[in-house]
Amino acid sequence: MMIASMQGVVKRYGSNIVLDYVDLAIDEGEIIGLLGPNGAGKTTLIQTLTGMIPFEKGQVTLFGDVKAPFSNKNKEKIGLVTQEITIFEELTAKENLQFFAGVYGLKGEEKKNSVQEALEFVGLSDRANKMPKKFSGGMKRRLNIACALTHRPRFIIMDEPTVGIDPQSRNYILEAVKKLREEGTTILYTTHYMEEVQAIASRVVIMDQGQIIKEGTVDELIKTIQHEEKVKIDVTDAGQIPLNKLESVTGVKQVNVDGNQIMIISEANSGNLDRILSLIKAHAGVLGIQADKPNLEDVFLTLTGKQLRDKVGEE
Amino acid sequence: MRVISTMKFTFFRMVREYITLLLLLVVPIVLLTVFSFVLEGVTTETGEPLINEQNVIFVLVFQMFGGALAMAYIHTDFFTERKQRIYALPFNQTLYAFSIMVCGIVYSVLLGIVLMTFSEFVFGADWGNWLWAIYIIFLLALLSNIVCLIFTFSVNNFKIAERLSEVYGVGFVILAGLIFPVPGNDFFVFVNTYVNPITLAADAIYGMNQSHAGEAWFRSNILLIASGVLFIVMLILGKRKIR
Ligand SMILES: Nc1ncnc2c1ncn2[C@@H]1O[C@H](COP(=O)(O)OP(=O)(O)OP(=O)(O)O)[C@@H](O)[C@H]1O
Ligand SMILES: [Mg+2]
Repeated sequence: MMIASMQGVVKRYGSNIVLDYVDLAIDEGEIIGLLGPNGAGKTTLIQTLTGMIPFEKGQVTLFGDVKAPFSNKNKEKIGLVTQEITIFEELTAKENLQFFAGVYGLKGEEKKNSVQEALEFVGLSDRANKMPKKFSGGMKRRLNIACALTHRPRFIIMDEPTVGIDPQSRNYILEAVKKLREEGTTILYTTHYMEEVQAIASRVVIMDQGQIIKEGTVDELIKTIQHEEKVKIDVTDAGQIPLNKLESVTGVKQVNVDGNQIMIISEANSGNLDRILSLIKAHAGVLGIQADKPNLEDVFLTLTGKQLRDKVGEE
Repeated sequence: MRVISTMKFTFFRMVREYITLLLLLVVPIVLLTVFSFVLEGVTTETGEPLINEQNVIFVLVFQMFGGALAMAYIHTDFFTERKQRIYALPFNQTLYAFSIMVCGIVYSVLLGIVLMTFSEFVFGADWGNWLWAIYIIFLLALLSNIVCLIFTFSVNNFKIAERLSEVYGVGFVILAGLIFPVPGNDFFVFVNTYVNPITLAADAIYGMNQSHAGEAWFRSNILLIASGVLFIVMLILGKRKIR
């Protein structure tokens, strides 16, 4: 069954085209990992998909509703975890959940149980009566997620739920998502972390500059670049190496420099490693060589020419 | 209705704003206390202890700032990152905004009643008919909430909207001559007789106490009509910002 869809959706802010003819269909039970660098339009995609912002062109459906704002009956079926932490700081963890459970029409015993379960689900039972002001960033994130779960939505949208948190909280969240997946919940999950997508997603959608540039399962996407080889070479001084010469070596498709590591992507079986190494050795010392199997990160790099996130200074 | 289930929590949020509690409850109590000592034995032309009038005025002055909380909450819930979450919820967003305003008014009136009780029983201020006094306090709280929300909806920069709401409160306090004496010319007399919510409210309460019921109703009706008109303005402005 189709949960939600977008057809030819265009969204602009001024002259900035943020969604550029986006098509997306989400079926029941899918876990979609929506990947894209900062500013790609992921949050905007979510806002249009949930009918929260108007758009210029195209059509969005949510549980069969065609026109936004969507009916409350269909809004009840979604749980939205916002990218920013949007819990109420003046209410305890439990009261936050009671607020949302109430809005979704839960009452009495049912409400009590669902609040309790949501707290347990994100590991905050022992903090139920504490104010979020005193929570760590990771605990706030977990509460932010729990607020979207009390009503057991069929479709959960998580916008970067793990950004800026400690590894322990992150694992907790990933395990929680896996549990939801097992219960058959449909999930749209945006992130900058490839490992997360590789671990949970049944389908990956890659977005850049307002366009969906590729989609498929993790394996399918990796296969699309398997006609490529990747080698990483650690050198003493990358600055000394003429990159344009490296790029003109036969078979080389792309050269990326990350500190003193040079990454070269070549066509499969191009047999150019000797040539590359001698070129490098003429200008700097070689400290190590490493040939990797391609992963999702490489797919992303090949498609967009960008790292998914900045290596330095993140968080 | 689902919005009703949220009101309890909106109220909790308001009560837990300790700064507001300090400004709207503790500060007035301290000021009431200080002035009661300073004005001990001073009487008005009619021979009434001056402190009676001062107490009433004080409590009314603080109602002029009662819209601050609803204003802040409507802003954070509808005009910051939280709006995404609020709009995703299956309830009537306009009604939710309205419920925040109702909570703000109720809270403001409750604080007013606490101050009334305090000034009447501790300093012997004479509020006359309590129901009437509470009605007048309610009108001021209503007006303050409406004015604050008009600023919230019409000024894009919230900091400026907040400053404007302070200008509304402080401005009328000054015009009422409560901070320094104002000239007794026609302009000031007119403003304080027909426009200034503080003096309108005070006169409505004194009027009822001194059995000038007609006069008292007249003053309070000005407040009521102003609230009605501004409420419509608020709805029109709010419709553009909250859907
Ligand atoms: N309300 C807005 N007004 C104007 N421009 C906006 C608005 N919201 C988003 N944008 C612009 O739209 C583009 C996409 O933003 P969006 O938040 O959807 O990206 P994102 O993929 O979620 O990025 P991030 O990973 O940083 O969260 C950006 O260039 C952003 O500046
Ligand atoms: Mg985003």
